[in-house]
Amino acid sequence: MVTAQPSVAPTVHSGVQPLRAGEGSSFLWRKLHSLLGIIPLGAFLLEHMLSNFEALKGPIAYGEQVRFLNSLPLVRVLEWVFIFLPILYHAGYGVWIWLRGKSNIVYYPWAGNWLYAAQRYTGLIAFAYILQHVIRQRFMGVSLPEHPMEAFAKVQHELANPWMLAVYVIAMIAICWHFSYGVWLFAAKWGITPGTRARKRFGYVCVALGLGLAVMGLWSIWAFVR
Amino acid sequence: MANKTVSFEIKRQASPDAPAVWESFEIEWRPGMNVISAMMEIAGNPVTADGHSTTPITYDSNCLEEICGSCAMRINGKARMACSALIDNLEQPIRVEPLSKFPLVRDLQVDRSVLFENLKAVKAWIPIDGTYDLGAGPRVLPQEQEASYPLSNCISCTCCMEVCPQFNEDTNFVGAATIAQVKLFNNHPTGRVLKEERLRALAGDGGIQECGFAQNCVEVCPKSIPLTNTISDISRDVLLQKAKDFLRN
Repeated sequence: MVTAQPSVAPTVHSGVQPLRAGEGSSFLWRKLHSLLGIIPLGAFLLEHMLSNFEALKGPIAYGEQVRFLNSLPLVRVLEWVFIFLPILYHAGYGVWIWLRGKSNIVYYPWAGNWLYAAQRYTGLIAFAYILQHVIRQRFMGVSLPEHPMEAFAKVQHELANPWMLAVYVIAMIAICWHFSYGVWLFAAKWGITPGTRARKRFGYVCVALGLGLAVMGLWSIWAFVR
Repeated sequence: MANKTVSFEIKRQASPDAPAVWESFEIEWRPGMNVISAMMEIAGNPVTADGHSTTPITYDSNCLEEICGSCAMRINGKARMACSALIDNLEQPIRVEPLSKFPLVRDLQVDRSVLFENLKAVKAWIPIDGTYDLGAGPRVLPQEQEASYPLSNCISCTCCMEVCPQFNEDTNFVGAATIAQVKLFNNHPTGRVLKEERLRALAGDGGIQECGFAQNCVEVCPKSIPLTNTISDISRDVLLQKAKDFLRN
């Protein structure tokens, strides 16, 4: 006689719960967070760094660059779809990731563990900075889409405040760190660099990327305060 | 002449809800002694350093040679196997605590059944049960054996889960050990029949996506299993499986 097998009740009552096999959609949301960090946010960061670099050529070249960017077709749509909304999602989900992680570098002070913690703190710094940066530079004061040639003066005025200058320098380093380690993490977690040596070699590439971007960024900042 | 002694501080807890207390013990030093042999001695003669009689300490252990995975505990703050923790290499007093991420049973004993549940959730086995003799299995190439052997060394000690910042009650992350077993069984020519089911299981809530790549797992693993390499490989497999499922539905 065939009898129904009694379903085995899970034996875990408290503590960390077992895998909810095949349930929920957190896989999709987490991977979206990861992907958005590279495209479009990483791509936008590179564009922004290159555009900032124009400041070294002077206020006119910088203004022309701002004018060019604002002349892109559907620029307001591009701005929201490829910059603002992805940043809000990446940051919001990132804060949630940070809140749910239990860092333990006190007991396990290993390099990867430090980088894990650093990725969370640089992310928080980046988010706080970007919020004020967008509000003050994009939505307050002189509207740059209408008056692109005043861009240099606007930034110069902001950086004349030594506190603001310090904020920009710290945030520049934090963002370059977060992005370059993020690229490394992306390669590791999407299975592009499954080998230990491959990850190590790609690590050097990402260090070079981060340092290069940070130097470029700080150099651009210098253009406004020299 | 006084004999050389070894001092311990052991975190005691009579029941899951009882308050935790620290007790000090001092035992005679012997050459080559390890933490688990010291635990046995303390349990056999439960007298604290200041001479008070106490209850025998409770702990899990079995093989005493780092092959069964039972005696994982926190020694001087770090999760490791008590059997391979040699006294001579440790700073004293040696602080011994239970693993912190699993429900406590008593003293140093914790309930690690979440790993067993996770292994069941990903079908970490090779399905060969049937009503007739299935005959010889397919041949496993030497290269495949070489790749699988390190993964088969897992002793289910749960150290990789204990040290993982993502393995906690907020994420309910599955942990590295289970992911490594998915790779082991997916690589097996007969085990491969459940490959897609295993990958889909790992995309569930608490699945492989919760990994933050802090790499503590691979640092702590007593069997040197290439856990980060495995997580990277299986992440890609899970992603491709989900993409296929999405496009073929």
